[in-house]
Amino acid sequence: MKKYLLPILFVLLASSLWSCNDQCKETRITRRYTPVSIALKELRSSVKAEAPHELIRPGKIYVKGNYLFINEIKEGIHVINNSDPANPSFVSFIKIPGNGDMSVRDNILYADSYTDLVALDLSDPVNPKEVSRVENVFRNGQFDGASWYLNQTNGVDNLTIQDYTIDYVTETVTTSCEEDFTQYLYYSFYADGGTKALSSGSSSVSAATNGQAGSMSRFALYDQYLYTVGQGNLRLFNIANPTKPTDFATVNIGWNVETIFPYQRKLFLGSTTGMFIYDNTDPASPKQLSNFQHGRACDPVVVHDDIAYVTLRTGTACAGTENQLDLVDVSNASSPTLIKSYQMENPHGLSIDFPTLYLCEGDKGLKVFDVTDKNNVDQHLLSFKKDMHAYDVISLGKTLLLIGDDGFYQYDASDPANLRELSKIPVKKAIQ
Amino acid sequence: MKILFSFFVAILAISTSLAQEGSFKKKFVNHTEFGGLFGRVKYVNNSGYGNDQNKVDSKASLSIQTFNGIHLNQRLDVGVTLGFDWYKTALLNPIAAGIRYDITKGSKARLFLTGDAGYGFNWLNQDSDGYKTKGGWMINPGVGLRMGKINSSTFTFSVTYKRQEAYADKPLLYNQTVRYEDRVYNRVAARIGISF
Repeated sequence: MKKYLLPILFVLLASSLWSCNDQCKETRITRRYTPVSIALKELRSSVKAEAPHELIRPGKIYVKGNYLFINEIKEGIHVINNSDPANPSFVSFIKIPGNGDMSVRDNILYADSYTDLVALDLSDPVNPKEVSRVENVFRNGQFDGASWYLNQTNGVDNLTIQDYTIDYVTETVTTSCEEDFTQYLYYSFYADGGTKALSSGSSSVSAATNGQAGSMSRFALYDQYLYTVGQGNLRLFNIANPTKPTDFATVNIGWNVETIFPYQRKLFLGSTTGMFIYDNTDPASPKQLSNFQHGRACDPVVVHDDIAYVTLRTGTACAGTENQLDLVDVSNASSPTLIKSYQMENPHGLSIDFPTLYLCEGDKGLKVFDVTDKNNVDQHLLSFKKDMHAYDVISLGKTLLLIGDDGFYQYDASDPANLRELSKIPVKKAIQ
Repeated sequence: MKILFSFFVAILAISTSLAQEGSFKKKFVNHTEFGGLFGRVKYVNNSGYGNDQNKVDSKASLSIQTFNGIHLNQRLDVGVTLGFDWYKTALLNPIAAGIRYDITKGSKARLFLTGDAGYGFNWLNQDSDGYKTKGGWMINPGVGLRMGKINSSTFTFSVTYKRQEAYADKPLLYNQTVRYEDRVYNRVAARIGISF
């Protein structure tokens, strides 16, 4: 009997295995949009200084003298005293509903608040005060991939904003353990672009009392004008009287412009379809010189001498991935030509402190290149910090400011190949 | 995963302790097998985009592996197993600690236990655009039949259970910020092979 026991056991064991099932679980986090309607009256009365807040969803960053301004997407602006970069301290929080961008000249902060442009007096940083407001100048915009617009009833503005609140929903589903190419029909780009940002040293030609914005900024100061790019136009505000900005002119440009970078007497606009170059010799009326077309997604542009550095990022598009850094020769601004493209992993913001180029690779980290040899940039990678999330970066020469999902960092960049962390302001809750 | 890892460590430990007590003349052993990994999968069709339905598919993957080790005593071989498993969307190379143990004493045919535990690597895998597949822990215990005389080349047939973990980052769809997949391949592996 014992002789047969083992073969029987063998057969039993074997047959019990035939019911094996693969188990594959897909986890995904999806943005969910819920429409909300907000009365302008309510928005306009709620701009005020508050006690310092923690960073929750940081957006763009702006630097002016010893002060840092970090946008809290759609909520307002954190004012930070950065006189000691190793120990930045929160000074106050300015509550500005629908804020995404800012610019500072002298003591005046210009910020958008949905439809309006608000000017605030920063003489007392603990308690900034609203000094004036240009109403209904921006008719629509976008935060985190969700558009808002000014509502109309029978063609007349009804003084409400149609916006969306965004929730992040985590789902887990069982899958076939295979790649689901049929779902490519639903494909879209990774739309976190223009909202989480900050940026690089902009070289404004005018007075040095302007702050520094960056490659992801929609606002730029030049001469006596504040330039703002909307989705379809470039709007100029006259700030000859800094406390009283006035709506000055509107220039129609291409669709989906995301960033503006003034350099010497030109404006470089980054859009989802390419890069526009405007001649700004007469600051009151910029003129289009050229439109450099390339792939379908375009993130910021920075310029040094005759070379524009453009990063392209798609969230792995239908036609494959296109994640690259383009070097474009703009010595003849009327006909820019591509010098070379370099493959990157997931490029976001960038900043140049020639010959050093800082490039954010999203969740891959931060890359530092020496770009002296424009045809071999990829062979001159000075360093690659991988243990972090990097969205955008501003180089201030000796110091480097960087924002990512998990916080705001400052580095000592005196040796670009060997960045040394000076301080970090953590984000309260990392939301991706 | 921790359980698999401890199993892996345990096999290594057992191997060395057994090695110490061996008085039998040790010699090199090779056991090379070829076969298939068979299983089913039940999943939500249309995964979350409305009209969800459970769907079931059958799965079959090719597998080859070679066990190289030492014949420790009359019954026991210990060694290292290297393999190739061609799953539908991943080519994984498990490297595992393995044992082969004869549980019967037939002169012409013997039943044996087989066990491998280790890690499946993605070194030779190529991903579709937007995907990034990583390997994972693997465990593969089972029984087999060895035909042939003792101390000569034998022909084997084995039926084993194979669990292989894997992970894949997947391209983002509309409005998604994170999308990844944890995979567990639960398969029955039927293999034929030779051992000498």
